[in-house]
Amino acid sequence: MLGVMYALVAVGFTLFFGVLDVIHFAHGDIFMLGAFAGLTALVGLKAAGVGGSLLALPLTFAAAILVTGVVGVAAERVCVKPLAGTSPLMTLLATLSLGLVIRESVLIFYPRGADPKPFPQLLPQGGFEAGGVAIRYENLAILAIGLAAMVAVDRVIKGTKMGAAIRAVAQDPEAAQMMGVNLDRTVDATFFLGSGLAAVAGILSGLYYSEIHFIMGITGGVIGFSAAAIGGLGNVYGAIVGGLLFGVLQTTAAALIPRGSEFRDVVAFAVVMLFLVFKPSGIFGEKSVERV
Amino acid sequence: MSRDLALVWVAEAAVFALVIAGILAERPWALGAAGGALAAAGALVRWAPGLRTALARAFARRRGAALGCGVVLALALPLALRSSPYWTFVATLALLYVTIGQGLNLQIGTAGVTNLAGAAFAGLGGYSVGLLTVAAGWPSWLAVLVGPWVAVAVGAILFVPILKTRGHYLALVTIAFVFIFNILMNNLEFTGGPQGIKNIPTLRLFGYAFTTRPVLAGVALPAHANFYYAALVVAGLTTWVLRRLHDSWLGLALNTLRDDEIAARCSGVAVARGKLLAFSIGNFFIGLGGAVYAVIVGFVSPPDFDFGYSLVMLSVIIIGGVDSIPGVILGACLLVPLPERFRFLHEYRLLLYGVVIVVMLLYRPRGLWPAQVRRYR
Amino acid sequence: MALDGVDVAVAEGETVGVIGPNGSGKTTLFNALTGLYAPAGGEIVFRGRRLAGLEAHAIARLGIARTFQASRLCLDLSVFDNILIGMHAGRRTGLVDFVVRRRRFLGEIRAALERASHLLALFNRDLPSRGFERVGQLPQIDRRRVEICRALAAAPTLLLLDEPSAGMNPEETAELMRDLRIVREEMPGLSVVIIEHDMFVIEGVSQRVVAFNYGRKIAEGSFAAVAAHGEVRAAYLGTEAVGA
Repeated sequence: MLGVMYALVAVGFTLFFGVLDVIHFAHGDIFMLGAFAGLTALVGLKAAGVGGSLLALPLTFAAAILVTGVVGVAAERVCVKPLAGTSPLMTLLATLSLGLVIRESVLIFYPRGADPKPFPQLLPQGGFEAGGVAIRYENLAILAIGLAAMVAVDRVIKGTKMGAAIRAVAQDPEAAQMMGVNLDRTVDATFFLGSGLAAVAGILSGLYYSEIHFIMGITGGVIGFSAAAIGGLGNVYGAIVGGLLFGVLQTTAAALIPRGSEFRDVVAFAVVMLFLVFKPSGIFGEKSVERV
Repeated sequence: MSRDLALVWVAEAAVFALVIAGILAERPWALGAAGGALAAAGALVRWAPGLRTALARAFARRRGAALGCGVVLALALPLALRSSPYWTFVATLALLYVTIGQGLNLQIGTAGVTNLAGAAFAGLGGYSVGLLTVAAGWPSWLAVLVGPWVAVAVGAILFVPILKTRGHYLALVTIAFVFIFNILMNNLEFTGGPQGIKNIPTLRLFGYAFTTRPVLAGVALPAHANFYYAALVVAGLTTWVLRRLHDSWLGLALNTLRDDEIAARCSGVAVARGKLLAFSIGNFFIGLGGAVYAVIVGFVSPPDFDFGYSLVMLSVIIIGGVDSIPGVILGACLLVPLPERFRFLHEYRLLLYGVVIVVMLLYRPRGLWPAQVRRYR
Repeated sequence: MALDGVDVAVAEGETVGVIGPNGSGKTTLFNALTGLYAPAGGEIVFRGRRLAGLEAHAIARLGIARTFQASRLCLDLSVFDNILIGMHAGRRTGLVDFVVRRRRFLGEIRAALERASHLLALFNRDLPSRGFERVGQLPQIDRRRVEICRALAAAPTLLLLDEPSAGMNPEETAELMRDLRIVREEMPGLSVVIIEHDMFVIEGVSQRVVAFNYGRKIAEGSFAAVAAHGEVRAAYLGTEAVGA
């Protein structure tokens, strides 16, 4: 479950790295923004009287995706793309600062932003037993939505013209441009797509934990980045695998280690560190190689 | 000749006076006036060509005097700020960031070794001091000398990643490291958990307790001025050492391996040794900053050393100017006091901070005081 | 496999030219010699020492220096810094000297700076006065000279030049040949191996020429002999042209 959410965030990281060769450290806070946008949409829907209907969930997703997509593209245009050519250190600091701006904006402009906010339960409650394991409908629904999102991404990347453009730019921006690909629009589309996915992940996170908090983007972002790195930066399927793997790591650590729930992140991060040291370009390998 | 001297002293004294006025101003209009005057002076220097060349020449010819004047003003700062122990503390904090920044700059700026775990290494220095003094009963001054070495030793954990990964991946490894450090400090028993370590005894040198109020030129200063001077000495020594290392065979080798590792290797530079050396030396000074912090503030706790502070340390270096020794000083002296000065903006403070950093990066990517060509002085 | 059974020997004070179409393994040979690639088999012997498996910086310290096809200079560093790095391995002062016994270190650096100026002046009288400018501000031809100075700064016994005339027009190439002659005069005992596509340069500076194709040595001898060699002409011009 967690893995699915991490995977969605990780896909964003890997897409951005693919087209611009940058690590977009504010992406975690976009994930948080998506959750809050979803919550706001729900509040609005409730006020309009349609809060409990079947339409509520898809509308919430749509609203959140729109918000994060627009903010994501704006962020890219203002501070990610302009600095993309400079050293990675610059984009690191720029995107980290951007994340701070997003975080602080939510803190300031959302009523009582510092407190964790309860997230309404929109998914069917209850569950059943299978082989001694309790399975909840809610978790199945989250899994289903997450998988649906990943399938959708796969369809877009493989089946649409824009998807092909994204892949082309990821491989070789100059060659892609010579083939007629509009670089700016492709980058915009990539950021919209990645940010939209983060919104889905954010809402799923809200549904899963039944609450959201304005700092959830910090750890969420680091985990997403780790997952993308494990899978190999630039490789979308790697990111998905990485996200799922990280989720499994966390849950196994929590279960096996005494006081596991506190230390599960330590274990997960330690594994990430070891992984990066011994297989630095990830499971499926990174994009580029240096020539002498 | 003496005109150059006068120019240097007047320029430095003027900036000093305006900064003090801005800090101590109580009414918004006074702050605005001081800020406006500084901005006007800056614009004048930037756009009046005669003035700019005259100042540049004067400072180049009278480097010793410029440095000396700066030292005198730094010594006089607590005197000027004596009405506000709080601002003396902020100045001390800025000096600690200078120390930490010079260490981090050696790693990131000079050697190109990405390190986002600065907060963890400062924390190692701080927690070591806490544990040595409170749990083991050591005197503070001894703990401060030993703390940085703990940072260096624990830093060895990252030796393999530093040699085998680079760029984004190394950044991620160091981020993971600082997160792990934070969680461990928060959850382990002997580090005091979320409460941290309290009641770290204050510094006592040759019987002089740093909690007594010092007297300078017949004027009684707030007790905190002791720590300011201690931090000034530490920052000064750190800058002195690192400047000399930067303008040496080591700095040259590190710059070369940062810019072109293959060319460095073929020129006889032992790249692995260089990176690890830079990393360790840097960690020593970062740990030193954290150790002195522990003694000044009297307690350490996990939120004092989280990833957010790594971000501040990074900003100090990049805004000041990567691989620039004076840049680090400028960066710390701007990025630490300014958010404090604008506390009246309340919750908008951090938001503005983030915006300012992004704007700086877009328009001044080389920093406020970019690294100059090496001159071997 | 990039290099297959290559067998080349270079004598002291000799200049050997290496030619061959792109991808024939010439730069790979240099990379193996300087320790950037580890050879899978065979021996590299330099003045009686085995080089295979040594680190690149250790090989450099033994007296092998090189330039690169796309010149690898640190553009933001000064001209002097780019040359001084060549003398880094020969330094006598250490960390303690840098900080506390500064005068001792400064003495050594001053000597190094003088040597750098001397080397620069060999090629271009005006260069030493620009020594503290960033190397990125120099024109391409002077940057090549700085790269050569860096290689010479270490007083090597073997100099490897990788396509020094790449991207040069005929005038610049003539200046390059002049520069190479200056190198020869300045260091008569220096062995040089030069990879080149410009036959004019190869003919002008080499005493012996080796031709590569598909990772193998296909010819060796004087320039005239190699140029007339059937397989060499086939490699460059295609088999049809040779038949004619």
